[in-house]
Amino acid sequence: MGFNMRYLDLKRRIRDVRMWAIQGIAEAGSGHPGASFSAAEIMGTLYFRTMKHDPSNPTWEDRDYFINSKAHSAPGFYSTLAVAGYFPPEEIRTLRKLGSRLQGHPVRYSEHQKHHSVPGVEYSGGSEGIGLSVGIGIALAKKLDREKAKMNKVYVLIGDGESNEGQIWEASMAAGKFKLDNLVAILDRNRIQQDGFTEDIMPLDPTKDKWAAFNWQVFEVDGHKVEQIVDALYKAARVHDKPVMIVANTIKGNGIRHMANNPQWHGKAPPKRQTEVLLEELESECLIAPSIIAGERENYEDKIRKVEREGVDMIHLDVMDGRFVPNTTFFADTIKKLRPSTSLPFDAHLMIEKPLEKVQEYIDARCDIITVHAEACTENEFKEIQERLINAGISPGIAINPGTDMPNWLYRSLHDLDVIIVMSVNPGFAGQKFMPEVLPKMMAVNKELMEHGFRGYIEADGGIDATTLHQAYDAGARIFVAGAAVYGGGDIHGSVIQLRHKAAVALEKRLLNHSTRLNVRSDWMKARKHILIPYANELGIEEELHAIK
Amino acid sequence: MLLSSEKKTADMRSAYGDTLVELGRDDPRIVCVGGDTTDSLKTKKFGDKYPDRMFNVGIAEANLVSVAAGLSIAGKIAFASTYAAFIPGRCVDQIRNAICYPSLNVKLVVSHAGLTVGPDGASHQQIEDIASMRTIPNMRVIVPADAVAVKHLIRTIARTPGPFYLRLARPSSEVIYADNAESFLIGRGNVLEEGSDATIIACGLMVVMAIEAAMELKRKGVSCRVVDMFSIKPIDSELVVKCAKETGAIATAEEHNILGGLGGAVSEVTAETYPVPVKRVGVRDTFGESARDEEIDTLLEIYGLTATEIAKAVLEARSRNRK
Repeated sequence: MGFNMRYLDLKRRIRDVRMWAIQGIAEAGSGHPGASFSAAEIMGTLYFRTMKHDPSNPTWEDRDYFINSKAHSAPGFYSTLAVAGYFPPEEIRTLRKLGSRLQGHPVRYSEHQKHHSVPGVEYSGGSEGIGLSVGIGIALAKKLDREKAKMNKVYVLIGDGESNEGQIWEASMAAGKFKLDNLVAILDRNRIQQDGFTEDIMPLDPTKDKWAAFNWQVFEVDGHKVEQIVDALYKAARVHDKPVMIVANTIKGNGIRHMANNPQWHGKAPPKRQTEVLLEELESECLIAPSIIAGERENYEDKIRKVEREGVDMIHLDVMDGRFVPNTTFFADTIKKLRPSTSLPFDAHLMIEKPLEKVQEYIDARCDIITVHAEACTENEFKEIQERLINAGISPGIAINPGTDMPNWLYRSLHDLDVIIVMSVNPGFAGQKFMPEVLPKMMAVNKELMEHGFRGYIEADGGIDATTLHQAYDAGARIFVAGAAVYGGGDIHGSVIQLRHKAAVALEKRLLNHSTRLNVRSDWMKARKHILIPYANELGIEEELHAIK
Repeated sequence: MLLSSEKKTADMRSAYGDTLVELGRDDPRIVCVGGDTTDSLKTKKFGDKYPDRMFNVGIAEANLVSVAAGLSIAGKIAFASTYAAFIPGRCVDQIRNAICYPSLNVKLVVSHAGLTVGPDGASHQQIEDIASMRTIPNMRVIVPADAVAVKHLIRTIARTPGPFYLRLARPSSEVIYADNAESFLIGRGNVLEEGSDATIIACGLMVVMAIEAAMELKRKGVSCRVVDMFSIKPIDSELVVKCAKETGAIATAEEHNILGGLGGAVSEVTAETYPVPVKRVGVRDTFGESARDEEIDTLLEIYGLTATEIAKAVLEARSRNRK
């Protein structure tokens, strides 16, 4: 709910974490992609947003502690530390090799272990079930020091397979006894352990009830929705006299579709020659952002609730002032009223004149992304807007109309730019037709900006539906604003499924083409067979897929 | 003066508890984790004095030692205590991975080691701990011979960074050392009696018996050196080799399985450096049994942990001496 998380930057960093992790695992030929990926958002949110820590001073006395008890998620953990700035990410490629600082399971960093660890690792994991107890020890010590030092939080990541260990429950009792409200445990509830599904091997449910019965304050989140994790961690910081357990429902292997929810990928490395394809998949994550001004005039809150249920990624808010564009929609006061209705990020698209004068209202309304129009501001005005947004923890964006070229001054602001909206209609009304003539511009913008170091997202806005999405996708867009395509027909559920399906087809096509270029097409199709089957017809690969054993 | 001139007995656990209270007074970093045995371990005194720094986690030893690891990560000097049957008996993995691997400042001080636990029987008679603890890298293993040694060694391990395992016995035992004895260095043994024909290297409660055995042998005309090897790891290799060279035969004595303990450690040194006959006195790879307190001497006799056995071992080692 807009807790200064700079949403798109956070998403992007977590995407980078996954990309580094898979490179490390593929290079090593072993490792645990499943756990690295199920916990990516949890670790990313902690390190990139919530935790008090300083990569340039890893033993800073006022830091928060992170104990990675499910230490087989090491590739993800190392990558998180690297992206956070503790060591150069390229070192991930030495993972698990002889002489590497990146051991198969992380080792607490100290002078005596400096050749087998990296600064920032507080705990030597690998044997399951121990980390929560260690976290308790740190939390107890920090309580003793409370008068001298500021209160440090201790975050412990535990696994659900790991929860088979009796020691987890010894620790659970102890934390309750000591009322450790400076301790937050996060359960990576991916429901898969080495031999299969947790509920078959050793059932953990009713998980929440168990922790509550052990005198913990329990929250439950979708462990891949950073906004929910941020929200729960914020609430956790306000609990008194009890330790906090955040049950994060996750998908093992999330990010690579054929690894997701598949016990086979608990501890297996993908073939090295497929790495490039996997990286492409990770880089191609799509976000769907329904625009609530579309469709019947009805209660916005109701519209938000309906798409939230469908698992969309964010809410697109088209703000029109009747001057920059001919139409008028709503302003910051409406957004402020809508804010408590959802934890989904608010993607505010300000189609207004003089955005610099108004931007503070939208910051105060707790939008997560604020995009202004290139046509409505000068370079200096945009720079000021950008700076204010960054300082407020909001993702800055710029939008360009179909008839506008990318302003040259934008190249000087790319580093802190999280999104560029390339309009595929002339803004001002909902329900317009997609303009395919913007596609070459989108493609050129994408290519050129990437070359100049842009690491953000391209957002397609205007006439995006099941027939046009793939075109914008191929041109480089990864965020899709869908208005009429979601709210226009009446079947919101079906519409969102259809959009996701089209995005999936576009992705699979892209990955297949890439695998062909890399000469690994048949291997790729074999690994991916169960994913490809539903799309075989649209991809025109029915016979080819059938021939693969 | 190294040895006590008067004959008296004292309780090792009380020496530990009292020393811990003194340490806690001088150093606020000293904390203690207990496991429902704080009264017995005499750490309760520390808890009464410094309730904020005493954490009783109940009967949960895996959690106990791991909580101690966490406390040390946050800068505390953590003492973790319960019966030897449970630390290390129930948590060797946690000691290895959570404490020794990162070489944390955790002091495992345990009691009721060996057969002298008495009535509780074999389930509580920990006779494998020296072996298991001494094979973990970074761990140091200390077995004091009496309450005076306990007092000094607890102070020593508190100020020496890194993990320690220190093992106490349950019964009150004879005091060997003079109160002001200062000679307790990690990695050094103490020569309690000089001798030239053989050496007895002992630890814990067996040191008293080693002295008795040496006296018995003296009467038979055998001059026997007695070493208190309280520091089993790091062991005083230099002293072991010196004894091997100068006396030509060694008997070891410990209240522990003869496999992998003090006898093993001494044999490793001699075998690699200066081979001489070594005869080990200890529990001969078997489980113990219950005995009431007044029957403990008999129990030790049955299991071969007596001065007489040590003397026999010395003579046997000597007979094999090819010097």
